[in-house]
Amino acid sequence: MRFVDEYRDPDLGRALAGEILSLVEPGRHYKLMEVCGGHTHSIYKYGVDDLLPGNVELVHGPGCPVCVIPMGRVDDGIALAHEPGVIFTCFGDMMRVPGSDGSLLDAKARGADIRMVYSPLDALRIAKQNPDREVVFFAIGFETTAPSTALTLKRARAERVENFSCMCSHVTIVPPLRALLESPDLRLDGFIGPGHVSTVVGARPFEFIPADYGKPVVIAGFEPLDILQAVAMILAQLSQDRCEVENQYKRVVPYEGNLRALEVMAEVFELRPHFEWRGLGFISHSGLRLSEAYADLDAERRFGVPGVRVADPKACQCGEVLKGVIKPWECKVFGTACTPERPIGTCMVSSEGACAAYYNFGRFAREREVV
Amino acid sequence: MTAREPGELECGSRHCITCGDDGVPMTVLKVDHARELALCAEQSGARSTVELALVAPVARGDRLLVHAGTAIAALTEAGT
Repeated sequence: MRFVDEYRDPDLGRALAGEILSLVEPGRHYKLMEVCGGHTHSIYKYGVDDLLPGNVELVHGPGCPVCVIPMGRVDDGIALAHEPGVIFTCFGDMMRVPGSDGSLLDAKARGADIRMVYSPLDALRIAKQNPDREVVFFAIGFETTAPSTALTLKRARAERVENFSCMCSHVTIVPPLRALLESPDLRLDGFIGPGHVSTVVGARPFEFIPADYGKPVVIAGFEPLDILQAVAMILAQLSQDRCEVENQYKRVVPYEGNLRALEVMAEVFELRPHFEWRGLGFISHSGLRLSEAYADLDAERRFGVPGVRVADPKACQCGEVLKGVIKPWECKVFGTACTPERPIGTCMVSSEGACAAYYNFGRFAREREVV
Repeated sequence: MTAREPGELECGSRHCITCGDDGVPMTVLKVDHARELALCAEQSGARSTVELALVAPVARGDRLLVHAGTAIAALTEAGT
């Protein structure tokens, strides 16, 4: 398959592994963060970390849109879903994220009309098919998904679909990265930049990382060879004392991003003063809400939500996992009380979550090592 | 709701389509220029309606990167 097979070639993979080995300095430990959950998933699925030297450590970042949603936000969604006459729509993974009193899936079992959709367009279609009901779309995701929500809201406006509204929980990638870089817990040597977020925002928003913090960034694709090549490019920068934003994923990511997507996002959304991230706490200007021009399509204004802040369960260490401070298997409840079938924390819900990715793929390799 | 192949509905397959933040390469089968929508197919043959506003103009046979039902980039040979 074009764009896929050539990026999984074993011979090229072995050659890249050799190149990486030649670039590492013996005795130095390298910590590289893959920002995006899609990278985390690929790393574990294809065993990319098995091809790296022992002193190159991949740290999993906060780039899974499901994992960063705090419990209080799930509770707000469930409250909306229980409003009379409401059909609540959301992506499938979001249905399993635990709130303080169960998940959206539990609420559905208790009678709320909650439906899984693949896209905001599906939610709009449900609204058109049910003109006597109010249809709310629970919008989550980074800048990859936000344009889709924005375009759907514009379409709802143009087609006068008045029973459609959006509970906007979109987030942006740069503020949490800055928060991580300011964190005293974590020392990183470089970043594997998020490929598809960069398709929309471009490479420029990441320039502050080399400029202000002296760390290299390489925007990468999601196939195993993409990730290996990105690691080699970061190590090459470090070995040559260079520090810049490079684009390994040029076949998809233009340096300036998708200007049309940025325009539509600017029209439909505005930054919230603060937004709470699971495990990272409140981060300024990191979340999106609907702009005044689209306020009538804002479900939070149309219905009102409790907006109560709920602390994460004490046993759950998603926060430390999201910050890369601990590995998934170092969490006290990993694989015992918390599994993909019965998740306690968000990182175990989404396939892009570090815990779920490790549980599904990586743990077998680790068990082999123990034996 | 958009029709999907049953085999594609699972996390852990090549693409987890229950997570809206996952990019899926698709091929354009039919374009509705007036509504800026297209019928597209995944490699598996699963079809869905895709928003084209961010990548238009597109034509039958073009390859697109689709996130949450919206094409965010055209996949081209250039840069590969």
